[in-house]
Amino acid sequence: MFLFRLANFLVGYVTLALRGEAPEKLINMATARGIFLWDIYRTGSQEVRVKVRLSAVWPFLHLARLARCRFHVVGRAGLPFLWLRLVRRKGLLLGGVLFVTGLYILGSFVWSVDVTGNRRLAAQEVLEAAREAGLRQGVPRWSLDAAAVERALLERLPDLSWAGVYVRGTRVTVEVVEKVLPGERRQVFAHVVAKKSGLVKEVLVQSGHPLVKEGDTVVPGQILISGIIPPSREEESAGSPSPRHPTCVRAAGMVRARVWYEGYGEALLKESGQRPTGRRAVRACIKVGEREIILAGPRDVPFALYEASTTVKSLPGWRNLYLPVELVICSFNEMESYTVTRSRSEARQLAGERALEAAYRQVPKGAAVVHKQLDELVVKEPETVVRVKALVECVEEIGVEQPFDPGHSQ
Amino acid sequence: MPWQKWLKRVADLLEIPGDVMLNLPRIVLVGNLQAFIENHRGILEYNPQVVRVSISEGELEISGENLVLRNILPEEICVEGNIRAVAFR
Repeated sequence: MFLFRLANFLVGYVTLALRGEAPEKLINMATARGIFLWDIYRTGSQEVRVKVRLSAVWPFLHLARLARCRFHVVGRAGLPFLWLRLVRRKGLLLGGVLFVTGLYILGSFVWSVDVTGNRRLAAQEVLEAAREAGLRQGVPRWSLDAAAVERALLERLPDLSWAGVYVRGTRVTVEVVEKVLPGERRQVFAHVVAKKSGLVKEVLVQSGHPLVKEGDTVVPGQILISGIIPPSREEESAGSPSPRHPTCVRAAGMVRARVWYEGYGEALLKESGQRPTGRRAVRACIKVGEREIILAGPRDVPFALYEASTTVKSLPGWRNLYLPVELVICSFNEMESYTVTRSRSEARQLAGERALEAAYRQVPKGAAVVHKQLDELVVKEPETVVRVKALVECVEEIGVEQPFDPGHSQ
Repeated sequence: MPWQKWLKRVADLLEIPGDVMLNLPRIVLVGNLQAFIENHRGILEYNPQVVRVSISEGELEISGENLVLRNILPEEICVEGNIRAVAFR
């Protein structure tokens, strides 16, 4: 029906008022000849209004004369008449053309220039540089060479490491990236302290005064290499003019120590539980209000034992209005129950692996494992579980820098 | 009419709809708002109170108020308005 209406509008139609004693006869004749009529209604006892397509008007009027009906045109509608009206109104047409060309011409100028990405540099400075390179407000777009402006910006502003000029419609965005200059390093004084406890294996001092030696046991936070160097004996005996105050430095060096890590693991002699089999089923449904419509996937879960997970995707709301439609995707992973019986030695091996894994998890990167050891914890009464403790010995760097204020440490 | 009866029997046997076999009109009513008449033979009378349509045997009368012939095609007529009764004459 809508397509009929659309077609009628496209080809154009007229409304005719018919006067005569037998308009029904005329209508029958017209339909028999394939003339499409619609919206037929009687406005008075003598008059009937009929809509006819423009292409069928002449044959219809011919029939009307044959049927001795008088007629006149009451209304015209459709695209051809609109077109006629437009053609008649030259001013309107001219205005439309002027509007489109005006839009096109005005759209081919640069109307605003934005600067983004500048931090230290003022936007005005970048705009100034861009202006000299030929990019400013009001410049026609066809005369703008973005690559040349980029090059000119980089030449004129040495603080920039990169510049990009993007033309988006009538708006030009100048994106700049400033060079990151290395800041001056501040002189700080620092100790090297232990970050964990261990047995010192070697000490290598680059600057500072070592307070520990090989074989010492250290605790976390203990100063390993001090940033405060006491005056040396030679200096003292030489009686140098420098005062006897200790000198402060930023201590640096490497302190490697042996560190122990412990891990614990256990394994049951008889273990039972559930684990996924790897088979899964996915069901997608659309939920409208309270009703669920399954789009894909099974209606009933095909597994006896399963684990379900559900994700709900709903349409974004606007203000406090929400569409009550959401997509619900349920996935079911099949599970199976299992029972494993282990011999004591198997259980011990598994527990040992777990214990070692737990210990290794604490070992930092770059530490060298020098020794590892597994101990089974045995309790008096026999248990159904095997417990194993792992001990891992590593050699690693334990020193960290810790700044201090020389004024207060004295 | 034995020929018609015979045809109807054949139509029933073969489960062919009557409008195909016997050339009967098919009338679809949408509430009391619209009536679609297929397989008609033309319009006999039209005014806002009564529409009479010729069908293969006799005529069909639709009475009501503000009746409008929404469209007319060689095979179909659509009547809109406030339909009160559909009668075969």
